[in-house]
Amino acid sequence: MKTILASLAVAVETGKRNDAKNLTQSLVDKGMAPLDIVEQGLVPGMSAIGNKFKKNEVFVPEMLIAARAMKECMILLEPLLAKAGIKPKHTVVIGTVQGDLHDIGKNLVSMMLKGANFGVIDLGANVDPSKFAAAAKEHGASLIALSALLTTTMPAMKTTVDAIRASDMAKLKIMIGGAPISQEYADQIGADGYSADAASAVDLALSLVGETH
Amino acid sequence: MTSKQRIRAAIEHRQPDRIPVDFGASFITGIHCSVVEALRHHYGLPKRPVKVCEPYQMLGEIEDDLRAALGVDTTPVFPNRTIFGFVNENWREYRTPWGQLVLVSEHFKTIENDRGTYIFPQGDPTVPPSGHMPKTGYFFDSIVRQGEIDEDNLDVADNMEEFGLMTPAEESYWKKEAARLRGSDHAVVTHLNGTGLGDIALVPAPFLKKPKGVRDIAGWYMTVAANPGFVGKLFDRQVEVAIENLHRLHAIAGDVIDVVVVCGTDFGTQESTFCSRATYDALWHPRYKRINDWIHAHTSWKTFKHSCGAVENFMPNFIASGFDIINPVQCSAKGMEAKLLKARYGDRITFWGGGVNTQKTLPFCTPEEVRREVLERCETFAPGGGFVFDAIHNVQALTPTANVVAMIEAVKSFNGVR
Repeated sequence: MKTILASLAVAVETGKRNDAKNLTQSLVDKGMAPLDIVEQGLVPGMSAIGNKFKKNEVFVPEMLIAARAMKECMILLEPLLAKAGIKPKHTVVIGTVQGDLHDIGKNLVSMMLKGANFGVIDLGANVDPSKFAAAAKEHGASLIALSALLTTTMPAMKTTVDAIRASDMAKLKIMIGGAPISQEYADQIGADGYSADAASAVDLALSLVGETH
Repeated sequence: MTSKQRIRAAIEHRQPDRIPVDFGASFITGIHCSVVEALRHHYGLPKRPVKVCEPYQMLGEIEDDLRAALGVDTTPVFPNRTIFGFVNENWREYRTPWGQLVLVSEHFKTIENDRGTYIFPQGDPTVPPSGHMPKTGYFFDSIVRQGEIDEDNLDVADNMEEFGLMTPAEESYWKKEAARLRGSDHAVVTHLNGTGLGDIALVPAPFLKKPKGVRDIAGWYMTVAANPGFVGKLFDRQVEVAIENLHRLHAIAGDVIDVVVVCGTDFGTQESTFCSRATYDALWHPRYKRINDWIHAHTSWKTFKHSCGAVENFMPNFIASGFDIINPVQCSAKGMEAKLLKARYGDRITFWGGGVNTQKTLPFCTPEEVRREVLERCETFAPGGGFVFDAIHNVQALTPTANVVAMIEAVKSFNGVR
């Protein structure tokens, strides 16, 4: 099993989705618990690609193909996890703010968070400010992640943070990111954290929910 | 010096009489139509609806009177079809979602619903829309309309639909434009058709009615990583057609054009790049070099490469590929400090941009802070030529007019122009 898990981690890291899917299926067939496959196969694979990304050894396209491989494995595993009543320890609500249709960065963060075993509720792009707190309440989320690519939609990020702070989910941690965003802007609008890229977003998310990475 | 001489001197790394300026000569050095209207008002120019010359980013035409007021040294020839595939003609009034009365082409066909405004490719409302402007947005984004594809058996022809030979209509358009601009004392700038290799703004093909092939944005990036053989073949086919079109364009307007925008593919993110230098060298460099070498061997045109982001380590590659000009020089991205760029590459490539940060300073700081940054950039980039002043990418909607004016007046002040 350990060899297959190691091969699965490599298949995810290198974005070989057919191999990753087949290895996942073989582990399921051998009776391995789905959570163990996630934690010992998929998470190490995504963590490895994330670390290479942080060191500029791989780039966004390689991250995307790794995330796609992991997603295909999760299609096999999610029904089994649900059947076993296993829920991720932490759930994050994520979306691109109102007026902004850009979602590649948000999708990448979303996949990296899934790869770190977060439950992810993805509200998509161009999201109404009121929807984040409502979704967080509905899904018992412990974190909200906001994305914006445009300078013209940065004000919508502030409006969204204000809407969350004015709701009964006011104490939830909020992290933000996107091309024009900075730590300075996060401080200015009352967000709890900023990350510059999808790999660092995982570290930030873990620290915001009180986990170490 | 005339404006044309000034731009040419700068690109040839000779000290011009003053820093040349571009606003509005390309789709990446433009100004949003709402800001164009505000500038016309500020400079006391006749009040009339601004023409939306580029409907995707809703860029406003900078007419001769505004060009003179801003001290602009360039003039554009835009492609005869917009990014939504229609011709800008028979202008009509249109009220934008933010309430501005502008002029748009008669083929600018839209529908609205509670999610915003949707625009149709080639002005054809019988096919699905190809662009979406959210209700609170200020420009369009492409709608990805990719159908089912077999990733293991991609056909280059599917992604080649838009890269054809110049049509008689295009030749006729160019003949008229060349006649209009022959003898202009401004530097003539144009976008080349078909030389954008993997330009992510063009991959979804918002100009096509029913695009085939790889049209999804993330899907394209994944194809570059997972199937470089396909991407290389596509680029080769593109370049074959492009070189033939360069022959034709040169025959019509060889003596008129000063600068050609070759490619807008972004290689940089805020913090890093989209690929390694080795990938650039394998996939992009030989094709870019072929285009640039042809242009330099047959014309007096200068070649312009656009790439946002942290591309300091790609500068030697861009230079080796034969580009004369790099834009937008995003000095706020990692490793892109102005002084470092000028010192390392300033004698080998022209910085067209870098004038002021449009993600922070221009939209969000005070006019005095804008002025300080602009003057600092002019001090850094001006010596020895190799600099054309422009903001870092298009001036966006919601940018305070006082800040844009502070930018323009700071350049004039540096140039000793009243």
